[in-house]
Amino acid sequence: MTDPHIPTSPVDATTGNPPAVEMLDVWKRFPGVVANAGANLRVRRGSVHAVLGENGAGKSTLMNVLSGVYRADEGEVRIDGTPYHFRTPADALDAGVGMVHQEFRLVPSFTVAENVALGACDRIVRRSAVESAVGALADRFGLATEPDRPVWQLSMGERQRVEILKALWRDARILVLDEPTAVLTPGEADELGAVLRHMADDGRTVVFISHKLHEVTGFCDEATVLRGGRTVAASLFVADTDATELASLMVGASPVVTERPPAREVGEVLLEVQDLRCPDDRGLAALDGLNLTVRSGEIVGIAGVAGNGQREMAQTIAGLRPVESGSVQLCGEDRTDATPRQRFADGLGYIPEDRLGVGLAPRLSVTDNAVLRTYGRHRRGPFLDAAGATDYCHDLVDRFGVRTGPLEEPIAGLSGGNLQRLLVGRELVDGPRVVVAAQPTRGLDVQGVKAIQDLLVSEREAGAAVLLVSEDLDELLTLADRLLVMHAGRIVAEFDPTTAERYVIGEAMIGHSSSASLASSDQGSSR
Amino acid sequence: MSRPVLVRREQVLRGGQPLAFGIGLCVALLVGLVLLVGSGHDPLRVYGRMFEASLGDPRAWSVTLNRAVPLGLAGLAVAVAGSMGLWNIGAEGQIMAGAIGAAWIARIGGEWPSPVLITAMLAAAILGGGLLALGPAVARARIGVNEIITTLMLNEVAIRLVQWLVHGRWKDPGSNNFPLAPMLPDNARLPGLFERAHFGVVLAGVVIALFGVAASRTAWGYELRVAGSSGATARYAGISLERKVMTVLILSGGVAGFAGGIELSGAADRITEGLSNGFGFAGIIVAALALMRPSGVAAVALLFGAVQIGGQSIQTMGVSSSVSTILQALILFGAIAAGVLSRYRVEMVAGEATEVTG
Repeated sequence: MTDPHIPTSPVDATTGNPPAVEMLDVWKRFPGVVANAGANLRVRRGSVHAVLGENGAGKSTLMNVLSGVYRADEGEVRIDGTPYHFRTPADALDAGVGMVHQEFRLVPSFTVAENVALGACDRIVRRSAVESAVGALADRFGLATEPDRPVWQLSMGERQRVEILKALWRDARILVLDEPTAVLTPGEADELGAVLRHMADDGRTVVFISHKLHEVTGFCDEATVLRGGRTVAASLFVADTDATELASLMVGASPVVTERPPAREVGEVLLEVQDLRCPDDRGLAALDGLNLTVRSGEIVGIAGVAGNGQREMAQTIAGLRPVESGSVQLCGEDRTDATPRQRFADGLGYIPEDRLGVGLAPRLSVTDNAVLRTYGRHRRGPFLDAAGATDYCHDLVDRFGVRTGPLEEPIAGLSGGNLQRLLVGRELVDGPRVVVAAQPTRGLDVQGVKAIQDLLVSEREAGAAVLLVSEDLDELLTLADRLLVMHAGRIVAEFDPTTAERYVIGEAMIGHSSSASLASSDQGSSR
Repeated sequence: MSRPVLVRREQVLRGGQPLAFGIGLCVALLVGLVLLVGSGHDPLRVYGRMFEASLGDPRAWSVTLNRAVPLGLAGLAVAVAGSMGLWNIGAEGQIMAGAIGAAWIARIGGEWPSPVLITAMLAAAILGGGLLALGPAVARARIGVNEIITTLMLNEVAIRLVQWLVHGRWKDPGSNNFPLAPMLPDNARLPGLFERAHFGVVLAGVVIALFGVAASRTAWGYELRVAGSSGATARYAGISLERKVMTVLILSGGVAGFAGGIELSGAADRITEGLSNGFGFAGIIVAALALMRPSGVAAVALLFGAVQIGGQSIQTMGVSSSVSTILQALILFGAIAAGVLSRYRVEMVAGEATEVTG
């Protein structure tokens, strides 16, 4: 394994060129979160370089520093050996760094050519001239596109090609793609790989963020692995490694912080999901026959690579996403069609993945957020009992150790850890029978993680059935009584967290059904 | 080379909005000074006249209050929708629809006792405005059609409908063939309050206060705030977004319709195509300046009304109506710009990437 603390070596041994990109000891802190804690990256010119890591590993932050979206707190960025301090994305573009973001930034009613040339034409030109220039550029890099088509008519894959064209049109020599395959079908992903290869052969440099290992081994030359904001493996030659090694680097083998809670007797089945199917936002199958059960007094962990249906599973159980077929039973009763409010009344606490977009209302006060689920109890006729709501909020804040300013101020001022304490506290304060927690500790600092994990464990002790979805394998191995692996909308393997080998879990996560996934056939109903 | 950029303040300046208003007013008066001197007027006399005519004595106050009534109600209509993140650009037409409803009741109920007739007229006005907003509300709630477009386009429909009525069906036979509807009967007129102020001032104040209480103290208002903050959060909390969008847009139309009924019964002699007088569009500005809060709407509407009345009064001094309109616009511009600066500050940044030597 390569030493993560690479000494500065300014030239490429074989070509004599300085590296296209060098990022040295980059630190970036956000309130409550350290996103990059001394990350390093060195990318050889003319290569396709993968930046790998789990969600929250600091990949996107590092790339946003490289492309001028964020300014690093500490550290240095060098492009072709020259140090830069980018203040805006335009600065980065001037230095030759173009980024393709996960969320596309296109004008839907404009044509492909108009989008590509938007803001990057010196003077008024004829439309046909721009269209043929864009077409020529696209042909040169094998990016199949029709310059005169409006963007709203295009598929996600085609839109992404437009984004790439935008960067090429602005003469980006270094192209940064943030999880480009997340929105693509497998076929489109392969095409993208060929295009990136082509650009590298043309002398450009591609930095490719992903957590899909087969893509990295498929079309990248080198890979840098981040974990916890640090570089754990720098510029590995992909030819010298394999998916298994990369997977274990990604999930790490760091010492366990939280103590494993002692095993306890489990009781009756409180959450049962049978043959659940539902489409994702693009209409593709997100859940494809999902089966699982969670009993009173156990934590069931769900591991899996992001985008394999974990989000949709949590949403369907919470009642926020309609199902196509199958059933969800809470405490022995079929609640497949119940509303979110009914499910909460049944004793379902739900900690959504998207805290500020779903779980909390950012513009409202601490009190307003504290009573989001239970404001019906504070009604006096049509009125809300403000004093009662404030008392309720006081109790909640005290009990769960939320550090807040005045309770009538908007929650937007709270740190990430305190926001999550407020949200988790609100869901747990009534003693729910079933808890669904989606990425409950993502992005929190060490104390925040510990506090939330302790809360989940104490729910288990109180006899709740806890379903924990996490991308942090350490967390799952520590907390879960049973570990299920999800792939392509289904549970494909079950492990005993006390004995399971990390790399075997990793294989199951990437869909390699080897000997370990024998239990996959019918783990839903067995125990 | 450096250039200015707006940077969001960590905290909104204390008392930002009223302060912004004051600063905006002063800047506008200073710019207006140049304009007035340039067009050959004595600015102090002009400003003095503006103040006297709008806020100088009880009579001036009564005229300003009458003007603030439709502005405030239209502003409230926009703010009700705006608190949920919806834009009702159709208050202008809904005012007309409300006036049509009220005028129709006045035609058939000429013999009724005044309180009954007026109550029926105002109820019909609310219905009329709500009815015009019904289509956009259903389209938005069910299939997500942008309410800005639909409400805006229905303005034309309502205004043309009034034209059609006064040119045809409702044309007064005794009007010597002028396209005029007959005068309202006396029992359809709102009673007076003081000087020229009519009872609509009280009604508008009550309605605005009612909405202020509803928005801040009731479960309904709470749900509205949650839905306005984030639709996904509202669904998670068990609030039906579809129903909220419907009720809010229809209610918004009803409030604008109510403004039309009051304006007809309190300030106009008869229904005319000029009755809405841009109040519906001005209401958008009122609501925006009031930050979509009912509590702010009344204050903003009063100021807006004073500016309009004052601006009109100086035309009798020979100041052209264009200059007076420019003055009015400047004052509002100033207030809006200052409002932005209470939330953002200006920072100079270097225009180019600074390359480190070495």
